[in-house]
Amino acid sequence: MKLLKIAAAAATGLALLAGTAQADDKPVVGLIMKSLANEFFQNMMAGAQAHEEKRGDYKLLAVGMQNETDFESQINAVENFITQGVDAIVVAPADSRAMVRPLKKAMEAGIVVVNFDVALDTEAKKQQNVELAFVGPDNRGGAKLAGDALGKKLGAGGKVVIIEGNPGADNANERRLGFEASVAEFELDLLDSRTAHWETEEANSVFSNMLTAHPDIQGVMAANDSMAIGVVKALESAGRDDIVVVGFDNIPAVGPMISDGRMLATVDQFGTDMAANSIDLALEVVKGGPQLEGWVKTPIELVTAN
Amino acid sequence: MTTQTLSETMPKPTRFSVRNVLQNAGIGLALLALILFFSVFTEHFLTPNNITNILTQITINLVLAVGMTFVILIGGIDLSVGSVMAFAAVVAGKAITLPGFGPAEAIALAIVAATLTGVACGMINGVISAYWALPSFIITLGMLNIARGAALQVSDAQTIYSFPYAFEEFGSAMIYGVPVVFLVALFLVLVAWFVLNFTVFGRLLYGIGNNEEAVRLAGHSVYWYKVAAFTICGFTAGIAAIVYMARLNISSPIAGIGFELNAIAAVIIGGTSLSGGRGSVIGTLLGAFIIGVLANGLILIGLSDFMRQMITGVVIIVAVVLDYYRAKYTSK
Repeated sequence: MKLLKIAAAAATGLALLAGTAQADDKPVVGLIMKSLANEFFQNMMAGAQAHEEKRGDYKLLAVGMQNETDFESQINAVENFITQGVDAIVVAPADSRAMVRPLKKAMEAGIVVVNFDVALDTEAKKQQNVELAFVGPDNRGGAKLAGDALGKKLGAGGKVVIIEGNPGADNANERRLGFEASVAEFELDLLDSRTAHWETEEANSVFSNMLTAHPDIQGVMAANDSMAIGVVKALESAGRDDIVVVGFDNIPAVGPMISDGRMLATVDQFGTDMAANSIDLALEVVKGGPQLEGWVKTPIELVTAN
Repeated sequence: MTTQTLSETMPKPTRFSVRNVLQNAGIGLALLALILFFSVFTEHFLTPNNITNILTQITINLVLAVGMTFVILIGGIDLSVGSVMAFAAVVAGKAITLPGFGPAEAIALAIVAATLTGVACGMINGVISAYWALPSFIITLGMLNIARGAALQVSDAQTIYSFPYAFEEFGSAMIYGVPVVFLVALFLVLVAWFVLNFTVFGRLLYGIGNNEEAVRLAGHSVYWYKVAAFTICGFTAGIAAIVYMARLNISSPIAGIGFELNAIAAVIIGGTSLSGGRGSVIGTLLGAFIIGVLANGLILIGLSDFMRQMITGVVIIVAVVLDYYRAKYTSK
């Protein structure tokens, strides 16, 4: 009896060993995202997990953060991945400067690093002597698509306001610059530009007050859809249906607003696929493919009612 | 003996006292000065539409601040109200979008769900901090994280939308230009004012804030009164969630970040002492107005976001310093 037990235990142990060995055959990809409290990254993570299951030839370790500015935990995650000896790190940096040094360490440890979603700072890369490609959407170009749609609708002299994302955030900045480029190109009249910190309720209040100060507003460019929803609600309570709104992100909640005309357009940057596509690119390099270079642009698309 | 101690720690109902009149008069004057300033320097401030806007915009903060007043009066603090509001909104959002209910049932279900969620979170805050006599600062900081995590978990971090039309109607309904949601908040203020001034329960909350030991020695169960104060605060967070949903017609799991600080600011600007035992919910009403009028007026004036944030900070500090002198001169 005792012998049997020992044999069984040994067999279990062997099976476990075999199990880990098998898992070790597959390349391991560490995915580092920003705040999982953000719908965009939540969808992205779901997309990456589905992708892991579908491909089945790699192992995914995914980490997110508490909030958008918690870049210390991103740095810790990189260090943990180096210790664990992963084959590739795919990262959406929370801070485009702070992440350069830890990622350099990872590259020196022979890990394939792919930077996606937010580009690392060019200056910081130069300083640290890091060559790293960027895989991601053109936030500025995307915002310009939405801004242009608004510009075409209003024509020269159209009076517009911008609702910005978090001050200092790279994508907020890029989207604002994209909107401003549309303002310049279509000779729109930019009356005001304010942050609502990506949030619906704040956008609702801030925009109501902007509308009071400038009752002649004709168009609104919101840096994300959550804020666009707040703007649309403010227009409804003010009884105004003559003001055109564009957003960004194409979250499900704006679908009905676009189809019934309360919003003119939004921009889809296919966040669900973005991490998955970056993982594909990383695995190519792990398998001996050429290094990535420059800016690998991911698709963006203007979403309108038709 | 003990009853004597107790009556000493429980101030007379504030409604007739010189101290209270002075307190609220000071805040009222500050509010009037702000209103005057913005009326002179902007052309749209004193228009019916803008006044409606201000009333709508202060509603959520006012609702949260009413509950917060109860907690601060007993010398506590509740940092979790913003997160609890989001959690309640998400639970109610899930309830209201359940298939198979008519609009009326769905709305009723949502209101019950939001209220119960808020009450449950508040009660947990109260039970834990009162039973082990722990600082509510830390317990509610824990709850801030629990409720936010729960909101994200339940909603899968997605915005919940497409509520019944009648709910939206309620959120944007007006009576003579006054938003119905603001009237709900005002009703809460009146109920709170009555409870705090005219019931034994209310007077004992002031007593606990002044001298907890005396209330205990008088034979009252301090524990249950504390739990009740935190539960009321959770309840108002649930009500705030309903207002949020009706006004914006969505439930967002990232709603209400930092709302606790605005609610605390309204209470403190309103003259309620952070160490408890002194203050009034009428002050809180005025405090919420000051914050709302500032946020609105500074945008109308065209001040940048960053300057606006700085000025709001200055006002909070000035209010507390003024309160120091007010307390010094009125207690003589």
